[in-house]
Amino acid sequence: MSIMELYALLPIGALGLGSVAILLAGAFAGDIPKRYLNLAGATIGLASAVFAVPRLPGGLEVGGMISAGQFDRLFVVFSGLVAAFTLLLSAGYTERRPLGREEYPALVLFAAFGMDVLASAVSLLGLFLGLECMSLALYILLASNRDDALSGEAGLKYLVVGAVSTAFLSFGLALIYAQSGTLSISGAMAALTVDGVPSPAGLAGWAFIIVGFGFKASLFPFHLWAPDVYEGGPAPVVAFLSTGSKAAVMTALLKLVLASGAAWATVMPAFWVMSAATMVFGNLAALTQENIKRLLAYSSMAQMGYVLMAVVAAPATGPGPAMFFIFAYTAMEMGAFGVVAAMSGRDSDLGDISRIRGLGYVYPLRSAVLTVCMVSLAGLPPTAGFMAKFQVFYAAVGAGYVYLAAIGILTAIASVYYYLKVVVALYMRPASDTVLPEGIRIIPSMDTEGKVALVVIALVIIALGVLPGGLMGLLAR
Amino acid sequence: MEPYLLTYIVFLPAAVALPILFIQEETAVRWVTLATTAVVFMMTVALYVKLPLTGLPPGSWLVFEDRAWIEPFGIRYSLGLDGLSLVLVMLTGLMFTLSVAASWNAVKERVPFFHFMLLTMETGVLGVFLSTDLFLFYLFWEVMLIPMFFIIGVWGHGRRVYSAVKFFIYTVSGSLLMLLAIVGLYVIHADKTGVHTFAIDSLAGTHPTGTAGLVLFGAFLLAFAVKVPLFPLHSWLPDAHTDAPTAGSVILAALLLKTGTYGLMRVGFPLFPEAAAASAPLLFGVGLAGLYYASWIAFAQEDIKRLVAYSSIGHLAIVVMGIAAWNETALAGSALQMVNHGISTGALFIMVGMLDERTHTRDISAFGGLWTKAPALSAFFLLFIISSSGLPGLNNFAGEFLVFAGVFRDHPLVAAGAFGGIVVSLIYLLMLAQKLLFGPAMGKGEFGDLTARELAVLVPLAALVVVLGVYPKLVLDPVASPVHDLVNIFGVSASSVSGAIAGGGAP
Repeated sequence: MSIMELYALLPIGALGLGSVAILLAGAFAGDIPKRYLNLAGATIGLASAVFAVPRLPGGLEVGGMISAGQFDRLFVVFSGLVAAFTLLLSAGYTERRPLGREEYPALVLFAAFGMDVLASAVSLLGLFLGLECMSLALYILLASNRDDALSGEAGLKYLVVGAVSTAFLSFGLALIYAQSGTLSISGAMAALTVDGVPSPAGLAGWAFIIVGFGFKASLFPFHLWAPDVYEGGPAPVVAFLSTGSKAAVMTALLKLVLASGAAWATVMPAFWVMSAATMVFGNLAALTQENIKRLLAYSSMAQMGYVLMAVVAAPATGPGPAMFFIFAYTAMEMGAFGVVAAMSGRDSDLGDISRIRGLGYVYPLRSAVLTVCMVSLAGLPPTAGFMAKFQVFYAAVGAGYVYLAAIGILTAIASVYYYLKVVVALYMRPASDTVLPEGIRIIPSMDTEGKVALVVIALVIIALGVLPGGLMGLLAR
Repeated sequence: MEPYLLTYIVFLPAAVALPILFIQEETAVRWVTLATTAVVFMMTVALYVKLPLTGLPPGSWLVFEDRAWIEPFGIRYSLGLDGLSLVLVMLTGLMFTLSVAASWNAVKERVPFFHFMLLTMETGVLGVFLSTDLFLFYLFWEVMLIPMFFIIGVWGHGRRVYSAVKFFIYTVSGSLLMLLAIVGLYVIHADKTGVHTFAIDSLAGTHPTGTAGLVLFGAFLLAFAVKVPLFPLHSWLPDAHTDAPTAGSVILAALLLKTGTYGLMRVGFPLFPEAAAASAPLLFGVGLAGLYYASWIAFAQEDIKRLVAYSSIGHLAIVVMGIAAWNETALAGSALQMVNHGISTGALFIMVGMLDERTHTRDISAFGGLWTKAPALSAFFLLFIISSSGLPGLNNFAGEFLVFAGVFRDHPLVAAGAFGGIVVSLIYLLMLAQKLLFGPAMGKGEFGDLTARELAVLVPLAALVVVLGVYPKLVLDPVASPVHDLVNIFGVSASSVSGAIAGGGAP
């Protein structure tokens, strides 16, 4: 292994080694406060992101497993930041809830390690290993609210669904390997057509992969687990699950699609239908939700529909719009769940929307951040969400999928209503002390880490909404 | 000329908006906001005085600013000022200044937040009137929505949340479809020419034909028609006006509705001349229907604000008919009418707010004999009512006359129908004046006449009503050359299409 290869592995290795280091620190120096462990984890995440910034020579691959191209490094920067912000947003929450000590930041870092491997894999094996690393850590994290039955239920549900989807995915990968005889993603995916005709085994492989990834990214019709898991899981973990893991899965899927070659024409309709159905069902189901975490669950599902639209268009327009959408989505979803975490008290997470009534004037910072996130999720300027939607629609129209874009716009119109519902509750309803007498007092005060993280997220959302050119340029290469 | 001049004008309000949130003293917030809006207005007046407004070469901007912005997509930050945008920008500066003054006593809760919303909205409205890049235009177009949503939903009356959400959903539905159409036009243009641009001037050369042209134009038309609003897409407007606070109603009527007609004139028609020409009969139809329908509904209103709101729908229908006729006379009339309607209807909403502050009701039957109790207030009210009904010598007459003259040239029957609609609106407006100002005096309670602050708000508007009535050239001169350009970009193809539709064949 050359120095260059080690250097390329440094950011990913930092996450894995950092995770182990925190575990050891917790075990041998037993009196470190939770807060410092979380901060240490956040620092490791940030360090990993910083290590990933320098440019490396193109086409560098480590062990035929992981690519270190510019695109992949960008994802590594991203996932380091996601882990760091998750831990910053967890700071207050983990103080209030029995969320584990050193294992919490260690697992978050380990999951981020898995995301990096998954998203930058160049081998089918790497893909599988990354996905499993990430999922294993998430199973534990989701169930880590030990006093809360809902949290246990969430962990168990995600475990069962995850196991099933892994089974599908591994069988799909096996079929593709059997058909192509290579584990390299680009080689394997391109070898699925014989004389321009897709082979049955290859198509079956694709179908199983779609099912496996569909579960992980909660695409229709594999989304049924998501609302329960989001509702029951600890809010900061859900923030991590709904952003980092979905981002990594969709990035990997995007790579498979871009490598698919001649088989794409046959596979595309499945993606088209899934994208349309995910947007329609996600947005319509979100309309009737009264629980903010369930609302965000369906919203997050719908947003994946838009990503999938960009994935459908990616063979024609390149990966830029899909990746921009994923990054922008991550900022706003992380902010939204971050606020939910910061508003969740000692006994339970923020649930019914009526509980945030009138809070806009009592907790201006958190409400403002939540409003920015809602406006962005609704795809309105001047936010990252608008620039992301614009690019996705551009990609779809440019690639000729005009009807898919039209479905996307129509469902986006419907979605405005439920995003507004949150804003209306914050600013336009009187604080209802009849519904919940202790409603306001159980909202905890804000810790510094959380404040900083939320403000940075809001600024990023607006910055990407006003000056998106830099990120667009990086993604367009 | 100062290279960032237009940027200063557009973003000054937004720059002040954020610090205002942190000022504790409410009176200070009001003064800072008033000063900011006044400065913006002064800057626009200075432009009006200094710039050469007539005798310009065709297609020239008075002030132009153009910078690279989002390069991967060829999106540019470009603002352009010509006579047409200048008069609307001046109207914006004036109406925001007066709105701040008019809300001095009416808005007592969450004062900094209110003025934050007003100022961010001013940036949005100014941006819409100045953008020459379609992407930037869309951005400002959406940015002005959220503050208005808050202003209705937080400081409104009655079913304020319902009205705010309805307003938002209606407008967003139109504008998101427009976004898709913008993207579609951009893609078609790039395919045809290989140039990726959102510059309205370049896109105007695309001329998407056939179904694509009709569908894309349809989406633009829908977005603008919701905003104007054209019958039958108007149902958000009475609710929004009725439940909005005074400043909200004033800005909604005087400016936000104008962004719809301005969009039609500046964006919708020039981008799709063929489809636009084909849509003229439709626009005349819904315009006439809206004019009569609004008048008919206005007769039945018990709430003064609702009545004024419906009169607004009628007035805007006339502006749209002028745009649909698309000749220099009618377009100049429409432009003038946009300014006039802003002044007269804005003034009426301000006065309804004054009545509401005094009596806490807007029920027509609760008023009567105001003239004996508050002669000055009544005199102003009567002036704005007769201005709004289009009586000669006052501002609306000149604009409506030009629109009718322009429409009459090619479509005499439409003009005749619209004229009938004006007569109907005259009746219900004068009936409103009669019920409020004359007849038996209302209850014995105190009813103060105008205060100095209120007088300061109303006098400039009254002066404009009279001055623009006798000397409309103040607006007609600056808009003449942009209107001339607009009619000419349309070119031969469009007139031949409209000729073909009329069954006359090519001349």
